[in-house]
Amino acid sequence: MTAIQVTWLREVQAFRGAFSCGVPVTAFLAAFGWTFVMTLRRNEGSVLQIQSIWGLSVAPWLPILSAVLTMRLFAEERSTGMIDLLMSSPVRERDLVIGKFLSAMTVMGVTLLISLAVPMLILPTLSAPVQGTARVAGFIATFIILFLQASTWCAAGTMVSIFFRNQAAAAVSSLVLCGGVPVVVYFAILAWMPAVRSETAWMPLLVHVYDFSTGLFSTAIIAVYVVTTVFFLFGCSKLLACLRLRG
Amino acid sequence: MLEVDHITFSYGRHRVLNDITFDVAPGEIVALTGANGAGKSTLLRVLSCLLMQDSGRVRMDSIDPLLRPIKYRRSIGYLSEHCPLYSDMTVETYLTYRVRLKGERSLRVRKRVGEALEMCGLDEVSKTRIRLLSHGYRKRVGLADALVQHPKLLLLDDPLAGLDVRQRKKTAAVLTTASSRAAIIITGHEIPEMLDWCTRFVVLGKGRVVGMYRTSDFSRADMALVLDRLITAEAGEEAYP
Repeated sequence: MTAIQVTWLREVQAFRGAFSCGVPVTAFLAAFGWTFVMTLRRNEGSVLQIQSIWGLSVAPWLPILSAVLTMRLFAEERSTGMIDLLMSSPVRERDLVIGKFLSAMTVMGVTLLISLAVPMLILPTLSAPVQGTARVAGFIATFIILFLQASTWCAAGTMVSIFFRNQAAAAVSSLVLCGGVPVVVYFAILAWMPAVRSETAWMPLLVHVYDFSTGLFSTAIIAVYVVTTVFFLFGCSKLLACLRLRG
Repeated sequence: MLEVDHITFSYGRHRVLNDITFDVAPGEIVALTGANGAGKSTLLRVLSCLLMQDSGRVRMDSIDPLLRPIKYRRSIGYLSEHCPLYSDMTVETYLTYRVRLKGERSLRVRKRVGEALEMCGLDEVSKTRIRLLSHGYRKRVGLADALVQHPKLLLLDDPLAGLDVRQRKKTAAVLTTASSRAAIIITGHEIPEMLDWCTRFVVLGKGRVVGMYRTSDFSRADMALVLDRLITAEAGEEAYP
């Protein structure tokens, strides 16, 4: 087994029994369910497809779940001192980072699949025109964009957790970075260039979800999320290496 | 085997290690001792690649940890002062995880874990969750972790602290056995006991090496007296009569 596999397996096992995993995932599913039902009712008779409603109901809650799931990845190791044993082992920093990141993404993927059950269960009870809009390819595309967004938030959260020994501080900082900064930047751009408002009525992150769910696939958007994720993960491994400089 | 050459390290402007030089041969058990704050733990952290020295050089069998860190770290076993462990795991699963993380081949994992459990007397608690173990057993698990992959160099930070007499004797026996295939550097304040099984004492004071003594060169009583005087003098206190 490689160091990445060993780290991934250990972290998935730790997530399985952790209070900081079960409670946030349950809360996430409850919040998503509420948003989904509300969006469905509000858009009764509209052209919005069921996979779009699913995607748009999940996307706003992803940064919060990511922040809570990733807060313990390195903050806990630093507070318990386990980071010393990991860093003195013959393992590259990047292997540790990737293993831990993949474990968070495993939980994310499973949670997204569970959330997919809600539209699947509701679909047979909906009217025939709504049922007609549901496409398997649309659900797959929506899953891909949600997974890509989740990977970006998780990578950012993993990086933030390296800075802290306190998990709560890591979660709050990660939430500010993932949830707050995009909103502030969006409104700052609107304030700076009001003409843009007519072209981007929604947050671009939600527009990406909507576009993918309706079949507007863009490799440029995929590239943006992949590059951002890789950038954060690269930052993580370099930050870990920097711990050796200052102790 | 291990060469520590003019090592200097500072936390910001505070110099913690100042021109430390010594070497360690295979089979030696070197005790790093000195007053609190002398730099013992920091030196071990530099030797275990947790801190990067400001200047100077460390080499083990001509491997420089700054140039070939993975190869160097594969040859060391480190026990931290506070002995951190994953409390949710059982002793056996924890050691299995650690052996795999250290890159041992799958076929040898079970053998290595079995050897470490037996050597450290952990057989009876191998299926017990770590959170249920006493301090003494937790230290033994940490020691088993350091020993599990037969490292060439063991770096043990205060392994005797907080242990009762029986546990300390047991730890000493384990270390004596381990010294047949590894050099050991150990920090601690339990000088009377360490005199029985350490081959050399390196005394640190305010980040410098202030004395280096082979136990074979002195009688036990003389050595204890010399070390006590040196350490208390460095700490700025009066020695016991």
